Amino acid sequence: MAIDFQRNQGTLIIEAAERVDSTNAQRFLEDLDAAIEPTDQVVILDMEKLTYISSAGLRVVLQTAKTLQRQNSGFALCALSGTVREVFEISGFDQVIAIHPSQEEAIAALKG
Amino acid sequence: MTARVDLKIAPSHEQLELIPAAVEEFAERDNWPPDLVFKLNLVLEELGVNIVNYSGATGDIEISLVSDSERVTVEIADDGRPFNPLEDLDSPDISAPLGERPIGGLGVHIVRTMMDEMRYSREDGKNKLAMTKLKTE
Repeated sequence: MAIDFQRNQGTLIIEAAERVDSTNAQRFLEDLDAAIEPTDQVVILDMEKLTYISSAGLRVVLQTAKTLQRQNSGFALCALSGTVREVFEISGFDQVIAIHPSQEEAIAALKG
Repeated sequence: MTARVDLKIAPSHEQLELIPAAVEEFAERDNWPPDLVFKLNLVLEELGVNIVNYSGATGDIEISLVSDSERVTVEIADDGRPFNPLEDLDSPDISAPLGERPIGGLGVHIVRTMMDEMRYSREDGKNKLAMTKLKTE
């Protein structure tokens, strides 16, 4: 698992790569918590390079979504590959977390 | 042609980490598409984590994968408390709003949805779960 982030005018873009599973989900959560600031108006989690996610990783995304909702920040996922997207759909997470095809579309949707 | 691999691992998180590499090696020899590798690894991770965290199993977890041209059959056995994942757990409410989503309870739901067939039995003091995933969908 690797994450990379960049911040631009109140928008935090986090790119997650490789695998998020039960062995590294806790570190994934800590990395996200460390990256996100209360002043971030919009947070986008880009999963284009994510090759695998299990329920342990879904829990981290859910916790992050709840944290951001409490601080009134916008949150969206983008660029999910086929099977990663399927895992989100099976879990019903696509009903409570916005999913967009690309970073650009996620930014456009969240910033209007 | 049928291919088969058997794994025996102690019920610990460290040993669970050995599963993906073993599945990937088998998948490579048997020419699986990437999404099939993902799904089989996912099912084994979810079930393996549940066994290690909740079953109280002390003996090895026994896993077998059998692959033919049409399907992969997975069997997983543990000597923990009786647990039938087809009946002993309600499906999580996947339509609840964000604030009411429980953290957890999704693993078995994912397994039940991903696999095409599942059969549970309790034999010789062991939970045995046999599952089939079709290669074409």
